[in-house]
Amino acid sequence: MSNIGNQKGAALAPDAEAPGAASPRGKAPHPLRAALGGGGNAAILKRVAIIGGALVIAIAVALLKSGSGLVVWQSVVTGLLMGGLYGLIAMGLTLIFGVLDIVNFAHGALLAVAMFIAFGVVQGTGLHPYLTLLVAVPALFLIGGVVHRGLLSGTGGGSLENQLLITLGLSLLLENGLLMFFGAEPKTVTLPGDFQFGLFGAVVTGARLYAFVGALLLGALLFWLLRRTRFGTAIRAVAANGPGAELVGINVRRIHTLTFAIGTACAGAAAVLAAPLITVTPTLGEQFNITAFVVVVLGGMGNVGGALVGGLLIGLVEQLTTIYMDGQSSLLGVFVVFVVVLFLRPQGLFGRRA
Amino acid sequence: MSARKLVAGLGACAVLLAGCGGSAPSGAAGAAAGRDHGPVKIGALHPVSGANAVDGQQMRRGAQLAVEAINAAGGIKSLGGRKVELAEGDTQGKAEVGQSEAQRLISEGAVGLVGTYQSAVSTNVAVVAERNRVPFVMDVTASDAIFAHGYRYAFRVQPGSEAISAAAAAYLKEVSEKAGKPVRKVAFLHEQTDFGSGAAEAFSKAAAKLGIQMGPNISYDAVTTSDLTAQITQVKASGANVLAVAGYYRDSLLAAKAINAVKPNLDAVWGVSNGAYDQPKFVTDAGALGERYFSTNYHYDAKNDQTTKLRADYQRRFGAPMRTGAVLAYDAVQVIAQAVDRAGGTDAEKVREAISASQVTPLAVGRGPIRFAANGDNRNALPVLMQIQGGQVKQVYPAEKAESQPNYSVTWRP
Repeated sequence: MSNIGNQKGAALAPDAEAPGAASPRGKAPHPLRAALGGGGNAAILKRVAIIGGALVIAIAVALLKSGSGLVVWQSVVTGLLMGGLYGLIAMGLTLIFGVLDIVNFAHGALLAVAMFIAFGVVQGTGLHPYLTLLVAVPALFLIGGVVHRGLLSGTGGGSLENQLLITLGLSLLLENGLLMFFGAEPKTVTLPGDFQFGLFGAVVTGARLYAFVGALLLGALLFWLLRRTRFGTAIRAVAANGPGAELVGINVRRIHTLTFAIGTACAGAAAVLAAPLITVTPTLGEQFNITAFVVVVLGGMGNVGGALVGGLLIGLVEQLTTIYMDGQSSLLGVFVVFVVVLFLRPQGLFGRRA
Repeated sequence: MSARKLVAGLGACAVLLAGCGGSAPSGAAGAAAGRDHGPVKIGALHPVSGANAVDGQQMRRGAQLAVEAINAAGGIKSLGGRKVELAEGDTQGKAEVGQSEAQRLISEGAVGLVGTYQSAVSTNVAVVAERNRVPFVMDVTASDAIFAHGYRYAFRVQPGSEAISAAAAAYLKEVSEKAGKPVRKVAFLHEQTDFGSGAAEAFSKAAAKLGIQMGPNISYDAVTTSDLTAQITQVKASGANVLAVAGYYRDSLLAAKAINAVKPNLDAVWGVSNGAYDQPKFVTDAGALGERYFSTNYHYDAKNDQTTKLRADYQRRFGAPMRTGAVLAYDAVQVIAQAVDRAGGTDAEKVREAISASQVTPLAVGRGPIRFAANGDNRNALPVLMQIQGGQVKQVYPAEKAESQPNYSVTWRP
């Protein structure tokens, strides 16, 4: 997995990716393990196997409970499709957290801003909704950069409390700004030529599939950026050890701003992909904020790959909850899983120990 | 330094205490002073900002139109033509803000309050109204719980949640039998707070009495849900032939999209107090998806000429179609104004008596004039069945309120 800053885990403390409930204790650090991200492939594979096993059991029980294979299969398909989107939204959040140590409460509001940009462009120019990526992503990149430079990188954004207050305040400001300019009336973005098809009985709509594939592609792009480019190496270096990175000539403040901007740009991409699926309202950020934070913590703070897996997991759990517990919020199941994971592995499923 | 801090702290406490202690008497004095001369003030509490601002503004304008109509007709006649004035308050959709705004309007001399669109806000405002002995006539408030406390000053114009659900079940049985496709089993999809679960519970109770089988009962979280495909698949697998939906706008639209994707074997989609399926906006947003959806809800009376005239007037002045909430706000203001007229004064107790003996002809659908039961609920409130036909929301049942015949079917099945 692409643990940002796992050099810390690998180089500074070889056994930092230490065993939680799922990984074997006291294993000697292996050079390959250090190279691959401090966790060791075997341990991660084992963890993935355990999660997969738990999921299979959960699905089997759901089958027994509902008695209808179709319902469970549809839940699994819907859960995975939704989960991809959750993962995409959480990726930006986890990137910002992993590199800058900023818990960005404004992420949901930025998502809403991007959706309104997409909505506005579609309304104004009649462009295909997905082409608004070309507008929304750069716009969010710029907004992210400005927010970081203007509000968070100075001394005002130094302490954790200030960061919380600034990002929370920003989210209120953005939401109410949207409310002022666009009104509270819910808006819809329709995808021209949307289609649907059956997948072994389950229904999949085109827009959802596109969003899912888009999430995977963007996840891969982010992974490539972090792993295979000089810029990505610099980001990881800053995440692992800021002063150290500065000593070898990396402009840490610039990297911070760019990372924040990339994180918000991810929200922009997610917003465009999700816009045809949901109703666009100024307060839609709330809808995703809670889930996104759970996904980030579940996947391991700062772990981009973990965010994607966490997203898929939460998507599935959400859907299965509605089968398990009739008449309960899907968030109940999400938080049960969340608490259990935190209990067994406080650093998240794919996180390094703090 | 610390001594100075101590003094400052004590000073702050003193100011706070004085503020708290002083507010109640000044409010009471203000109430007495403000009522006797100048225009008769009616307080209107609506969520004019925040997520429900569109509806809040609609309702404030509806109340404003009622005031203008009363003044144009010569004001309050028994008080020598005293004019009526709307004292406006913004609840921001928050219960605590609604409470303080209610207090403010009362201390400014409001003889009665109308509001508030949201049950949670109305619950708090009702307490304030009760404490200050000022009548509170609710225009839109679905929750029935407020009327279980034995409040003397709480009244309501719209039919309550339970009344709508019971009517929805009864209409379903009658309409489906007339169409020759009697309802067999109803699946209920609802959002999980009081609003949706309450509707589902009341509907199930009424359905059981009518011999309609219920199940499955599926709930979801309206705030976080972004896909209902799995839930609709569950409906399809259950073999139910009617799907009842009680939700807010956004999630009901999602349900419509999911129904279109899954195409369950239904005879009808049946909105119960639904926040979307009788809204012209839903017709625009959902397009063909929403065609032939039914909805049982409170509604402006489309067969009443006066209502039509009022709505045309609204459309001309504000450039948007007048919603049912605004018509109910209009009715609620009329209730208070006519009560003041009959009471022949602004004494709150007399106004309350006059309201409880009201006989006001509503512009929303009703069985007859607005008359309040002992608990304050409108005895003649009538839920009406609507259906989207040819891209328009039409009243279809009961027959005396019908603009056209119900078409008991769905678009995706022959």
